[in-house]
Amino acid sequence: MKAIQMMKNLGQLEYFLVALIAITLLNTFLGEKFSSATLVCILIALTVTYKGFIVIDHFMELKHANRNLRFLMKCYFVIFPSLIIVSAFY
Amino acid sequence: MMKTPPINPSLGIFPKSWSEEYAGRIPGNIPIWVGILAELTEFALFFVAYFIAKFYYPDIFSQGPQSLHTSLGVANTIILLTSSYFMAKAMSFIRIDNIIKCERYLWLAFSCGCIYLIIKTWEFNWNSLQGFGPSTNEFFTVYYYMTFNHFIHVGWASCAILWVIFRLRNNAYSSQEYSGLEALAVYWHMIDLMWILIFPLVYVLR
Repeated sequence: MKAIQMMKNLGQLEYFLVALIAITLLNTFLGEKFSSATLVCILIALTVTYKGFIVIDHFMELKHANRNLRFLMKCYFVIFPSLIIVSAFY
Repeated sequence: MMKTPPINPSLGIFPKSWSEEYAGRIPGNIPIWVGILAELTEFALFFVAYFIAKFYYPDIFSQGPQSLHTSLGVANTIILLTSSYFMAKAMSFIRIDNIIKCERYLWLAFSCGCIYLIIKTWEFNWNSLQGFGPSTNEFFTVYYYMTFNHFIHVGWASCAILWVIFRLRNNAYSSQEYSGLEALAVYWHMIDLMWILIFPLVYVLR
């Protein structure tokens, strides 16, 4: 039963892959077109966090696994994107 | 007579709340997570170095990404994301004992790793032809430290995929026992995660 449910959920992975690629292309476009804009830095930092969370939860499958490891991994993707935002104000 | 204390199967150095029983299962195995957390610490030092250097040399870091071949960076990002997807698919198929499809997806992930290495080598060569190297300026020093380190990680993780494929062919993994394959999968995803952070820092942010 568990295996059948996992097969049904496979469609989700394709959806997340498309979303991750779309975000990557959007980030590149923003970086190329709007150089040194603080708002762009914030947007990029937020999308990096989102991308990290998707990989941690759905590709790495930590969503329903060890909550301490998930917390540590997610902290990483909050701290460094936060530094991106801070660096926008240098 | 003195009573002998019961043997503790765990190391006994972690709080009980950290155990799998309380916090949930650990994907792969504990040694791979020790490795992953060590690697995350190593990359964290690189990221901190990047932000410190950017603070002291904002102009150099603003111009730096414009000197790079952005298309190659984007291509490598898409390739690594796709490889993570293939790895997740391989995990899905081992859980239903579909060894053939699992192996197929592992080969696809391995191919992505090889394509990444080829593109990165091409990019390093392109930089060199433009006259850029690790000692060009502070931006390129940080760029080479981060990306070459990541390059090495993708290299040895790709070799690890070959080892796992060899083990899979020797029936080492099944829906009942796949911790070795899962350990490789989480390590591979960690490498992808590091690139998710490296990409905007060196190619996008001005």
